[in-house]
Amino acid sequence: MLVLGIETSCDETAAALVADGRTILSSAVSTQLDLLKKYGGVVPEIAARRHTELIGYVVKDALDTAGRILDDVEAVAVTSRPGLAGCLMVGVAAAKTISYVKKLPLIGVHHIEGHIFANLLSNPALPFPHVCLTVSGGHNMLLYAPEPCRYEVLGTTLDDAAGEAFAKVAKFLGLDFPGGPVIDKLSRQRNPKAFKFPRPMIGTKSFDFSFSGLKTAVVNMFKDRLARGETLPLADIAASFQEAVVDVLVAKTVRAAAEKDVAAISVTGGVSANSRLRQRFSETCKKQEIEVFFPELSLCTDNAAMIAAAGYARIVRGERSDLRLNVFPNAPLGLP
Amino acid sequence: MIVLGIDTSAYINAVGIVDGDRALADDIYPARTDSLEQIVDNMDTTLKKAGLPLAWVNGIGVGLGPGSWTGIRVGVTVGKMLAFSADKPICGVPTLEALAFSVRDEAPLIFPVIAVGVGDAVYAGLYSPEGKSVKRIGDYYIGDVKGLSSMVTGSAVVVGAGAERYAPLIRQASGMELKSVEAVPSGAAVASLAGIRFSRGESDDALSLAPLYLKESTARVFVNRYKKE
Repeated sequence: MLVLGIETSCDETAAALVADGRTILSSAVSTQLDLLKKYGGVVPEIAARRHTELIGYVVKDALDTAGRILDDVEAVAVTSRPGLAGCLMVGVAAAKTISYVKKLPLIGVHHIEGHIFANLLSNPALPFPHVCLTVSGGHNMLLYAPEPCRYEVLGTTLDDAAGEAFAKVAKFLGLDFPGGPVIDKLSRQRNPKAFKFPRPMIGTKSFDFSFSGLKTAVVNMFKDRLARGETLPLADIAASFQEAVVDVLVAKTVRAAAEKDVAAISVTGGVSANSRLRQRFSETCKKQEIEVFFPELSLCTDNAAMIAAAGYARIVRGERSDLRLNVFPNAPLGLP
Repeated sequence: MIVLGIDTSAYINAVGIVDGDRALADDIYPARTDSLEQIVDNMDTTLKKAGLPLAWVNGIGVGLGPGSWTGIRVGVTVGKMLAFSADKPICGVPTLEALAFSVRDEAPLIFPVIAVGVGDAVYAGLYSPEGKSVKRIGDYYIGDVKGLSSMVTGSAVVVGAGAERYAPLIRQASGMELKSVEAVPSGAAVASLAGIRFSRGESDDALSLAPLYLKESTARVFVNRYKKE
């Protein structure tokens, strides 16, 4: 079954063609990096305007790259929740219209479920049950997946997502966009122990996260030293901050795997592209005899191939959305 | 030529169908929460009521706004993907033009108005009838509705949601008599104007078609101001 996936939940306009939920025929992504640089972050109204201008081109590009026409498509999957309302609406409006004209099954997909399927696209051998950490600029969720399409949310962030903390710290340090990859690159071969930053909630029983305090600690330390006229090794600050985030993410996820007695961990979302996070997860999991899986880099950040794959899984289970499909900007995972 | 017209700029879903000069349907649906939920259903209902399969539609007209920013994004996206996936030509129609079109026999000067949502600020334009259509004179106007008074030089009509309230304000400032017609954008008017352009051999590129916001987002305004300083 050939599924057209559409994703517009934040600042990426994306469309993809995926066959049988496994084979990516095309994955077109138009990022709004220029706008991110200009405005220092995602401005919902501006992002929504850009989606409207790009959506047609991106769908056409996904078809052309795959060498297919719309008549070859057998179902349409679209991110309908959660995300920025005005942005989600553009993708859902497009998907509904295509579904209506071509009389195709339509399925609204939860964005986090998309990220979970990004790893299944990259690693078909990823076993169930497993524990999945989805971590990006907008999400920071730890969940237990006993089988495909069934999830138990173990924890989420109480304030900033890890990716958001990366972006904010990078912005504060005056680094370039996008902050996450820039900190990753800057931190390589640097001393992650140069500065002592807190590891928020690392020892708590709960699987929830909190990165807002860590971000503030970096900012305060920076200001203190600056006031004392000390020189500030940016790369060491970045490396130390990154290490604190990685420590918390790895510790909680590995503990969740132990508590749920699973032998596999899946790490997804934009932050799963971070090289230090991958390295530390791999080292720790090797010691604990847990298998750890990461998506290929192109599937870490927002894309529509993962939405098509998740949509396919839902469609083969007999699920459908009707043409009144709407957006749910704050929908929890598990809402039908 | 059968043209399907939609407009979602005014917190309603307007769907109309015209065949040349003849309106086959002109429906207004409430958009309770937003235009997105019902618009595709609404189009389907209007087509079915008219006994027309989508395949018989020769072209698409879509209201570009101004109006609700979310609304016009939904309408334009539906319009462009309809044109793209059904392989039909499309024309974008400024919603102010569609409003003016619906009262083209009322007066030689037509002021369509759409509330901005702040005080008495409006999006507006000055139109005059021209043949079967209307023609815009000068630029679009965004500002306090009383600012339109300097443009009233003869017999004029104000049209739009709130026209009855706006007309006395303009009259007070200009001293000139004005008629007023309360109206929401009509799908049939959008379809008619698109049809007129199609008959001249014109159409828009579906993929690049964009809403007519007439107003930048607040963030862009701030950044531009900051840059100037």
